[in-house]
Parts: sequence; structure tokens; C-alpha cells
Amino acid sequence: MSDLPATSLSLPDDVLFSVRGLKKYFPIHEGWLKKHVGDVKAIDDVSLDIRKGETLGLVGESGSGKSTVARLMLRAYSLTDGQILFRRANGEIVDLSGLTDRQMRPLRAEMQMIFQDPYSSLNPRMTLLELVGEPMLIHGKGNDGEIRDRVAELLKVVGLRPEFINRYPHAFSGGQRQRIGIARALALNPSFIAADEAVSALDVSVAAQNINLLQDLQEQFGLTYLFITHDLGMVEHISDRVGVMYLGRLMEVAPTEALFSKPLHPYTEALMAAVPQPDPRGNRARKRVPLKGEIANAANPPSGCSFHPRCPYAQPKCSAEVPALRTVDGGRQVRCHFAEELSLVGAIA
Amino acid sequence: MGSKIMTKSPVPQNPMPAERLLELDDVHVHFPLREGLVKAVNGVSYHVDKGEVLGIVGESGSGKSITARAIMRLLPKRAAPPTGSIRFRPRTGEDFELSGLDRNSRAIRQVRGRHIGMIFQEPMTALSPVHTIGTQIMRTVQLHMGLGKVAARARAIDLLAKVQMPRPAQMVDAYPHQLSGGMRQRAMIALAISCDPSLLIADEPTTALDVTTEAQILELLKSLQSELGMAIIFITHNFGVVADIADRVSVMYLGRIVETASVDDIFYAPKHPYTQALLRSIPRLGVDQGRRLPTIPGMVPDPFSVPEGCAFNPRCGHAVAGLCEVRVPPEKRFGAQMSRCHIADQFVQEPANV
Ligand SMILES: Nc1ncnc2c1ncn2[C@@H]1O[C@H](COP(=O)(O)OP(=O)(O)OP(=O)(O)O)[C@@H](O)[C@H]1O
Ligand SMILES: Nc1ncnc2c1ncn2[C@@H]1O[C@H](COP(=O)(O)OP(=O)(O)O)[C@@H](O)[C@H]1O
Ligand code: SF4
Ligand code: SF4
Ligand SMILES: [Mg+2]
Ligand SMILES: [Mg+2]
Repeated sequence: MSDLPATSLSLPDDVLFSVRGLKKYFPIHEGWLKKHVGDVKAIDDVSLDIRKGETLGLVGESGSGKSTVARLMLRAYSLTDGQILFRRANGEIVDLSGLTDRQMRPLRAEMQMIFQDPYSSLNPRMTLLELVGEPMLIHGKGNDGEIRDRVAELLKVVGLRPEFINRYPHAFSGGQRQRIGIARALALNPSFIAADEAVSALDVSVAAQNINLLQDLQEQFGLTYLFITHDLGMVEHISDRVGVMYLGRLMEVAPTEALFSKPLHPYTEALMAAVPQPDPRGNRARKRVPLKGEIANAANPPSGCSFHPRCPYAQPKCSAEVPALRTVDGGRQVRCHFAEELSLVGAIA
Repeated sequence: MGSKIMTKSPVPQNPMPAERLLELDDVHVHFPLREGLVKAVNGVSYHVDKGEVLGIVGESGSGKSITARAIMRLLPKRAAPPTGSIRFRPRTGEDFELSGLDRNSRAIRQVRGRHIGMIFQEPMTALSPVHTIGTQIMRTVQLHMGLGKVAARARAIDLLAKVQMPRPAQMVDAYPHQLSGGMRQRAMIALAISCDPSLLIADEPTTALDVTTEAQILELLKSLQSELGMAIIFITHNFGVVADIADRVSVMYLGRIVETASVDDIFYAPKHPYTQALLRSIPRLGVDQGRRLPTIPGMVPDPFSVPEGCAFNPRCGHAVAGLCEVRVPPEKRFGAQMSRCHIADQFVQEPANV
């Protein structure tokens, strides 16, 4: 790509995306002079690798920064700081962090996003042909006939009847609209899809069908997923590894089973204890301690470990020093001063 | 016993048992629409005993909310006059035939303000944006409990403390828009319980909340329920939430209750194929369902084309040809468990999660 800055970047062979030292501050302006009085530190030093073909789950309370991470990776937002390395389909490694919109354009085909709300994310005045075909039109991929054929094929791939091609989204159920969004995301053969609460609004049986579809597509097209959700059962089912976010920081990253059976971060433990499971006996047996208070204000985060005001294990050191994201115990990462000393309880035995 | 609030019952009925708070019998709510007749509630019967939590689960459109609104006599204007009987006996002892009450009658307004509280997914459907939360609570308790202004304000502050609102003495003067989502939910709960209702109807009250706020609100509702001895109808489509809060659970599908049982029987010994299939399709922690989740084939039919016989038959793996698509299954009872399935007796302790 001649108009991309020449780079000599490298990534381990199995890594598709590598985020390093990512920061995103949203400025706060006040008064009639719109004076800059501070920043919402939405993302504050996140580093993360996503491996080719894996599903990385991202969990955390509302406002912890999950969606912002995804938007930054897809460069829907500019960065305040950090590096985003991406391995292109042609093998080239690019740093997305400084690219202009024009430079990003050819890369957008390779990374797509699907959203929670299948109602508001589809233009109601466009037919399925227009909705699913639009990305191809924009990127100049094919003439009318080719686009129509490809859309029909994509509808089949996501389990919708190709005869629906001239219908409008309102004629479809929530689960089907989600599939229209998935077909649209697949149109340009991406290698990476960020799914932001993609099945959270769906009824359980429809969510199960669509989760199966996402897994089939992953197998069929070798897709890599970033899967954002607050549903711990779902994230355990679909993810290879899981990252836990709190107040703009990654608190822990671990292989799924390890995370759920032996969390290393007190926030992970608290999150697991708070969420009721579809298992009345288990809920009764588990001591369910709801996490006290609310997530702190990202404009004025607590000193030291940002979780310390809510952490039952906090020590004096915790409010004084920011813990680093450290690698411990066979490749797991955790951001807690006392990770090795604490013996925390997971959600599964 | 306020005789003026008793209405003539359309059908003579057996008296409700002493522990009974609410009883629905064969309730129908239909919407005559241009495209056809929507039987949103199609013969629903359930009861709530004093102080218990009845969970109602079911996919969207199954009729959970419309049933609740039939109890409150707050049906959409397009609905045909509902049929069936809804009886209610709050702890004050009066007998109300809610099914005979008009939506604007004095009696139903008294029931709504005083005896049945209601909370929703979206707090702003219950709270007025132009009045402070204190004013809203005070009005209700002045009207229904006959409190004076000073006592009403004190009660409002008490109630805010009870729902664990931070700094209740200040928050009493806050407007809803000044509160966070979780705090607004607490304010709505304070308003709903302000007159010590015998029944709280909670329609998806935690669906829009963050996981930790949801857990806090569930804990709050449980403690209020045991402290105030109030019964709760908890409507949700989240099986984790219902497992956590309900004593008994009713499962709805296309306008009917297909199964009712204790929360443990619903989760560990369901006797209706729809309940069984739903539970199998939920990913559970620590249970390896393999790569694919078992799903229910097809989708919920649109409300204009509800299948004949058992409405679940086109999607049911157990359907018996010649029976299930012809005859509506009766309510079969197994002790306290009810299943509306022709072959319910075949499901002996079938674990749902294998
Ligand atoms: N455009 C914006 N302007 C200002 N602040 C923002 C903006 N977008 C996000 N934020 C702030 O950044 C933080 C992280 O938000 P984000 O939407 O990423 O959270 P999330 O983890 O996705 O939450 P949820 O679970 O509610 O979707 C929050 O404090 C939020 O208020
Ligand atoms: N105002 C209305 N007009 C016409 N149909 C309605 C109206 N409200 C609800 N319905 C229909 O009634 C059925 C049950 O709805 P509802 O009780 O809201 O379901 P749930 O709460 O279980 O999601 C659905 O088929 C819905 O489309
Ligand atoms: S660093 Fe301290 S406050 Fe933070 S999670 Fe660990 S123990 Fe808790
Ligand atoms: S009645 Fe027949 S179709 Fe309906 S749930 Fe039972 S077995 Fe299935
Ligand atoms: Mg988000
Ligand atoms: Mg509803």
C-alpha cells in the first residue's frame, strides 16, 4: 500500500491485532468559554493481543470502556495515545493509530462491527439488497449483478431466504435483523469482527441460534472475534480467552476456563459473585455478595488501583500505587498488587 | 370491608383460600387488529399467595406484560374488553373482583395506589420528570394513607432510605433527571412501595440495568419482600434473575401459561417441552454444552398465525401426530406443578441441563 506510512513493524505469527498502551481521553468543557476543565479517561493504558481465529471476550460493568476499546481498534475514534497493530490479509502489518480516514478506508473492509440493537442499526428505508450490498458499492466491489448475487449468497449464509432480498428490515424479527447486520458485516470478507452486545437484546432461544451462527461463520471463514457482553454464561460459552475491564483499564486477561475457575483479580471475583445464574441451588449455595456502590467517575478516577474503594482486599498500598498489568501464572495477565497472595473464588468449581 | 368497592361477580365462585392474594382464572385479552385477531392473553390462570414471589418468564410477545396490565386494568385502548376473572384480596381483607372494574373507577385507582405497586424497566414511565421524587412520593402517601405534609415528607425520606438511596434527606428534593439509572430505579421502587402494598408487580425492572446494579436491586427487592411481607410478580426473560428471586415460576408461550412450578422444579424437573428446550439453550457456567447450543427449531410464530392445538407443536421434538396439532392440551397437575402438555406425565425428573 503505497499511501500507508512505510513500516518495519512486526507481530508474533499468531497475532492479528495488538493494542499497546491505548488511551482515549474525552475532554470535558465547561462554562461559556468552553474551557477545558478535565478529561473522561475512558481508556487508560490498555494493552491486548488478539490471536488469529480466536474469540476474545470482553466483560465489565457499564462504562468500563468495552465499546470504546472496540471503536478505537476499528478507528471509529481517534486515539489519545498508543499503538494499534493489525495484520492485513496480505500479511502486511500496519499501525492504525495515526492513519487518516482516507488511509483507513481500504482497511475497513477487513474489520467490521455488529451491534446490540438490531432495530436502530439498520436504515429502515433500505432493502436488504441495499443494506447488505452497500459496503460493496462503497468499496467498488462488483457491478449491480455481482452485488445482487453476492447479497443473495450472504443471506443464505446467515440463514435468511434469498427471496427476501427486496424486503425492508421492519418485516423481520429482532433475531433476523441481527442476521441482516451480520450479512452486511460479512460482505467484504473481513478477518475481524467486533460484536458489541450482539445478542444481549435477544430472547434466549433466538440468542442461542445466533450464537451458533456466529460460531459456524467463524469456522467457515476463519474469523477472529472480539465479543463484548455482560452475560457471563455467554462469554464463557463462546470465548477462548476473556478480558475483564474496569474504569478504562484491563484488570485481568486469561484463558476462559482458568478465569472462571480461578480468578486472580478481586474485581473478576466480585463480578462473578454478583451475576445470578440460571441455577437456583447454585445461587443459594454460592455466597452472592453484590458489589457495593457504583463504578467510579471516569473523569475523576480513584488514586492507585481504581478498584480500591470497592475492593474487600484493599491495603494501604492500593490507594497509593497504580498496579501494573503483570504476567503471572503461565501467561495470565492481572493488574493487582496482591494477585499471588489472594485466593479468590470463581464461578465454576 | 368497603362494600362500595365490591362489585358484582359475573360468575359465582368458590371462595379464595386464606393464603391467596391474587387469582386469575381463564383471562383473555384480545386485540382486534386490521391484520387479524391477536390473542395476546389466551386463557391465563395463575395465582399468587401472600408474601411469595411468582416469576413469569417467556419470550417477548408471549403476553407477560399484557397479563400484568389486565390485573391493573391498564390495558391499551385497542384491546377488546378482557374476559375471565381476576380476584384480589389485599392484607386489609377486602375482596376485589378486579375483572369487574373499569379502568377509571374509584376502586381500581385505590387498588393501584394503595394495594398494588408497579415498577417497570424504564423508570420514567412511572416517574414524572417535572416533580421532585419527594413530591411524587408525598402525593401518593397523602392521598392513600391520609398523611399530613410533614409526616408525608418524613415518610418519603424513610422510604428513600429503605431503598438504599444515598443521602435520602437531600435526594428527596432531587428531580429524576439528576439521578443515575440505578438511583432512578430505586426512586421508582420507593414510590411503588410507599403505601405498603400487598403486591408488587415488577415488569422487567432490571433488564436495562448494569449487572452489578441489577444484583443490588434484586437484593433490595428480596429484603423488602421479607421485611414488608409483600408478594411480588416478577416478569423477566432472564432465567438467571428468575432463578435468583422467584419461589414459583410460570412459563408463558403465545398467550398461555405452559408450565407453573416451584423454582427448583422448573429448573431441575421441567415437565413441558418448551421449558426444557429453553433451559437447554441457555449457556451455563461450568456446563460444557459442546460447541453448539441446543436450539429450538424455527421461530416464535407471529401473533396472527398461532398454530392450532398445542401452539408449540411445530417446534416440539415430542409432538404426537394426530393429537398435538389438533387438541389444546389441558392443564395437567402433578402436585404443585402444572404442565399444559399432552404427554407431561412422561417427563419424570428429566434433567434439563444434560
Ligand atoms: N463520545 C464520548 N464522549 C465522552 N465520554 C464518552 C464518550 N464515549 C464514551 N465515553 C465515556 O467513556 C467511558 C467508557 O464508555 P464505554 O461506552 O466504552 O463503556 P462500555 O464498557 O461499553 O459500557 P456499556 O456496558 O454501558 O456499553 C464512560 O465513562 C463513558 O461515559
Ligand atoms: N397496544 C397493542 N396493540 C396491539 N397488539 C398489542 C399491543 N400491546 C401488545 N400487543 C400484542 O400482545 C402480545 C403480548 O404482548 P406483551 O404482553 O407486551 O408481551 P411480553 O410482555 O410477554 O413481551 C404481542 O403479540 C403483542 O404484539
Ligand atoms: S490492587 Fe488492591 S485494591 Fe486493587 S484489586 Fe488488588 S487488592 Fe484490590
Ligand atoms: S402437547 Fe405435544 S406439541 Fe405440545 S409440548 Fe406437549 S408434546 Fe409438544
Ligand atoms: Mg458499550
Ligand atoms: Mg413486556
